[in-house]
Amino acid sequence: MSEEKKTLIEFQDVCKKYVQGEHEFYALKDASLTIDEGEMVVILGPSGAGKSTLLNLLGGMDSATSGHIWFDGEDLTAFSDNKLTKYRAENVGVVFQFYNLIPTLTAYENVALMKDIKNDTTDPKEALASVGLADHMHQFPSQMSGGEQQRTSIARALAKNPRLLLCDEPTGALDTDTGKEVLKLLQDMSRTKKRTVVMVTHNSFFADIADTVIRVKNGGIRSVVHNESPKDADEVNW
Amino acid sequence: MLLRKMWRDLMKNKTQFISIFLMSFLGMLVFVGLDAESSGAADSVESYYKEYNLCDLWVMGAGFSDDDARMASRIKGVKNVEKRLALTGTAEKYDNAYMYVNYMDSNDINSLMLYEGEPFDPEKDGIWLEEWFARTNNIKVGDQFSVKVDSTRTEGIVRGIVDAPDYVYFVSEADVMYPNYTKCGAAFMSNVMYPDPKNIVYNQLLIDVYDEYSDDESVNVIKRKIENKFDRDDMAVTDRDQNLSYATFDAEVRQHKAMGIMFAVVFLAIALLGIVTTMARVTAGQRTQIGTMKALGFSKASITFHYVSYGFIISALGCISGSVVGSIVMPAWILGMFRGSYLVPDLHGTVTGLDIAATALAIFVSTLVSFLSCRKELKDPPAITLKPPAPKKVRHSGLEKSRFWLMLSFSTQWNIRDVLRNKLRSLMGILGVMGCAMLLICGFGCFDSIKGLMDKMYGELMTAGNKILLSSDADADYAYDLAVRYKGQMIEETSVEFVSDKVKKSGSATILDRGNFVHLQDRKLKPLKLNENGIAMTSKMAGLLGLKEGDRVRWHLVGDDKWQYSRIEQIYRDPSIQGITMKRKVFEDMEYTFKPTSVLTNMSVDPSLVDEDEVSSVLNIEGMKASFAETMEILNAMVYVMVIAAVLLGVVVLYNLGVLSFVEKTREMATLKVLGFNSAKIRRILQKQNLWLTVIGIAAGLWAGWGMLYVICTTVSDTLDMFPILYFPTYVWSIGGTFLVSIGVNFMFSGKVKSIDMVDALKGVE
Ligand SMILES: Nc1ncnc2c1ncn2[C@@H]1O[C@H](COP(=O)(O)OP(=O)(O)O)[C@@H](O)[C@H]1O
Ligand SMILES: [Mg+2]
Repeated sequence: MSEEKKTLIEFQDVCKKYVQGEHEFYALKDASLTIDEGEMVVILGPSGAGKSTLLNLLGGMDSATSGHIWFDGEDLTAFSDNKLTKYRAENVGVVFQFYNLIPTLTAYENVALMKDIKNDTTDPKEALASVGLADHMHQFPSQMSGGEQQRTSIARALAKNPRLLLCDEPTGALDTDTGKEVLKLLQDMSRTKKRTVVMVTHNSFFADIADTVIRVKNGGIRSVVHNESPKDADEVNW
Repeated sequence: MLLRKMWRDLMKNKTQFISIFLMSFLGMLVFVGLDAESSGAADSVESYYKEYNLCDLWVMGAGFSDDDARMASRIKGVKNVEKRLALTGTAEKYDNAYMYVNYMDSNDINSLMLYEGEPFDPEKDGIWLEEWFARTNNIKVGDQFSVKVDSTRTEGIVRGIVDAPDYVYFVSEADVMYPNYTKCGAAFMSNVMYPDPKNIVYNQLLIDVYDEYSDDESVNVIKRKIENKFDRDDMAVTDRDQNLSYATFDAEVRQHKAMGIMFAVVFLAIALLGIVTTMARVTAGQRTQIGTMKALGFSKASITFHYVSYGFIISALGCISGSVVGSIVMPAWILGMFRGSYLVPDLHGTVTGLDIAATALAIFVSTLVSFLSCRKELKDPPAITLKPPAPKKVRHSGLEKSRFWLMLSFSTQWNIRDVLRNKLRSLMGILGVMGCAMLLICGFGCFDSIKGLMDKMYGELMTAGNKILLSSDADADYAYDLAVRYKGQMIEETSVEFVSDKVKKSGSATILDRGNFVHLQDRKLKPLKLNENGIAMTSKMAGLLGLKEGDRVRWHLVGDDKWQYSRIEQIYRDPSIQGITMKRKVFEDMEYTFKPTSVLTNMSVDPSLVDEDEVSSVLNIEGMKASFAETMEILNAMVYVMVIAAVLLGVVVLYNLGVLSFVEKTREMATLKVLGFNSAKIRRILQKQNLWLTVIGIAAGLWAGWGMLYVICTTVSDTLDMFPILYFPTYVWSIGGTFLVSIGVNFMFSGKVKSIDMVDALKGVE
């Protein structure tokens, strides 16, 4: 790994508190961390640990109760709604556990949709070809398998050329083989295209493929481990 | 436990269920309301007719003797015959009110219903007065009352305040066609009150038939027998349907029934669509729950029963409460307004078997529809239902394969697909908007048409500013002097009876002297110049008689036994007076004397003119318009009902739809938000679809509203030839109003887009 690392993201004592009646609950408490540009980061932890909360904050989909979140030198917690929308449109690609494709649009159209919000998008055909779906462009989500749908949603995220790709349990609804294909795609993004990829999972086997592994438990960050020689996605088994 | 689940499900979908409830409620409210009202009105008047023995046939002619009466009573089926002398006159002391004056020597037919005073007695002198006229003119039993017929004055003490079954509805001949019972009354007295009782000549025979012969057919047979037996040219026999009083009330009642059915169909159709979409959504959303329940051992029947009872309970609540409220409120309200138009004692609503059957039917159909719409989810075995739903079949429509498709923006494509996928829901939206626009157009159109009718009657067809009505004292010379003095036009308006092959109809004849205040219009409402040498007939009268231009019609003046057989030279259209028009010369060529009944003028009339014996009253054009407008109260009320119904319908249907599609699309919208679409953009996408459906709905509504208006206008009555008119502002109001409702409702949801919680919405499927 080269030494000219540039910090893309920094969390500073970030808290997310939920209040239910008299009861207060911290989904995330005093979380601090940094993520470098171009890294492949895996956030690991058991269910309910606060992983999704962390990712949602990162994507500007949720707001922190306290603390600061810096993205390329700007404080997301100070952004207005409009600026956050713009931030998501410009910089963030999201891949969901349940794909969240628009059911009434074909694969091609789901990807082409990105043209409506950003100028310099990749050609939808290219994006779909790059995830191996050149032959499925005109199918509707309901006509595709889970893996194909997830690859479509990755193509959709990539079409924006985002600096940051966020994935919440992207393989959660897939079987091992298709899961592996998805993982490989994500790893390629960080390795060859130098995108920053942040992936949330509860599966500790995935730790092996990451440059950095962040372990989360009970709303707190337990450890941050840098992996000197990450494995290829092909090699992981679970 | 299932009950608790039902309660929670109902609460969760409360807007949909509330709107189903409201639609069922409104549908039954209007239907049962109008039906109870009209059936009640029909019942009330029927028992009134029965109790006070309304005659079955009227024989009218120049003079009837006791022999004539005896001859009529010998016809098989005839129970009783009475003679009457029916005249018209004026009550001078009461603003020259128009009076129907009846002399009779007995009163077993068309008997008087006594409110106050003593019952009618043919031996007694004195006058019995119609109740409304007496009350509004503050005339009491014991007062002195006088009425002038031609030039003779009959004076007497008021013995009783009464109503009569043959005077349920009547108008003065000079006045417009809507009743004003303060200025037009009826008086009844014994023939001993007649100036020369010995030489009284009766002009009517009232025929009462036995109950066994009172069906239409037997009455018709008797009618023909009378015509044959008397074989007189100066005589006309009319049945109840030809009698203005009877027929007008009858038509009014029938119109309300039809109106009720129309409203009910609109509302109930929407309620049913609501049930279909809501139940399908509820059960589809609970696929796995249904599977689980089955796996747990609930029988299919009990699960079916559970879901079907949703539709049953809601529609039962809506229909029953609508029926109950409707049957109480509507009759009271509408029959209250009837009182000024129809003189029927004790008008009340009646709930009929039909109402109960209709309520039951509505509930049954709703239940059936909810059964059909959830059957799909219920019939699969648990193993299948437990799995996530099979993907909706998606096909590329032909449109999507065309190159045109690719040129459409994403939001257009998305909306087109969404509409096509949710056809039923889209249809419901269009129907809701359509109903809203239709009711608005029709409602405002009623106002327009009445205004158009008035503008036409007073301003286009009759262009004089004043109409001087002459009394029977005025002779031709007097009228001529007036016409010269006021640069006016003399006209004679009189009653006529027409006979064609099939029917006999009474109408009016208008005879025009020189002048330019009366104008005719042809069927297409283009100006028509009246023929110099023949008669012209109104299109409505020609239609009723089954005649057309060039045909011949038999007619005679009422009270004159000379029959004419004339060619109809022209057909013209008149909104309010049906009959014939001709020039004075034509009239005189038939050897009649022209006896003017009024003088039309544009000059201002000396107010003291009314005091002269020869003048009965002076009407000015604004006054005529105003008194006409006043009498349209019932129609106005109908219009208010329509406008309120329109807005309610629009709001309820669109809100219901909004909730449905918003809930369904929350996840998609959250996704779009996460992807970086801003709220305004998402809002615009949603509004686009709404706009399409609204535009289609309005277009359909304009068309349907026009049709509805046309039906109302053409069926309003036998004597009115109303044409549907829509003025420009009506379009603006109706279209604007519908848009406002549609956009307003949509706005409520657009606001919610901003508040969609991305995190919540993305947590995964329920
Ligand atoms: N809207 C909410 N209200 C209350 N508690 C919440 C809410 N959303 C999440 N939580 C709680 O926060 C904790 C962390 O949630 P999350 O980040 O989704 O966990 P995970 O690590 O499984 O992704 C969980 O215990 C969850 O119950
Ligand atoms: Mg999670």
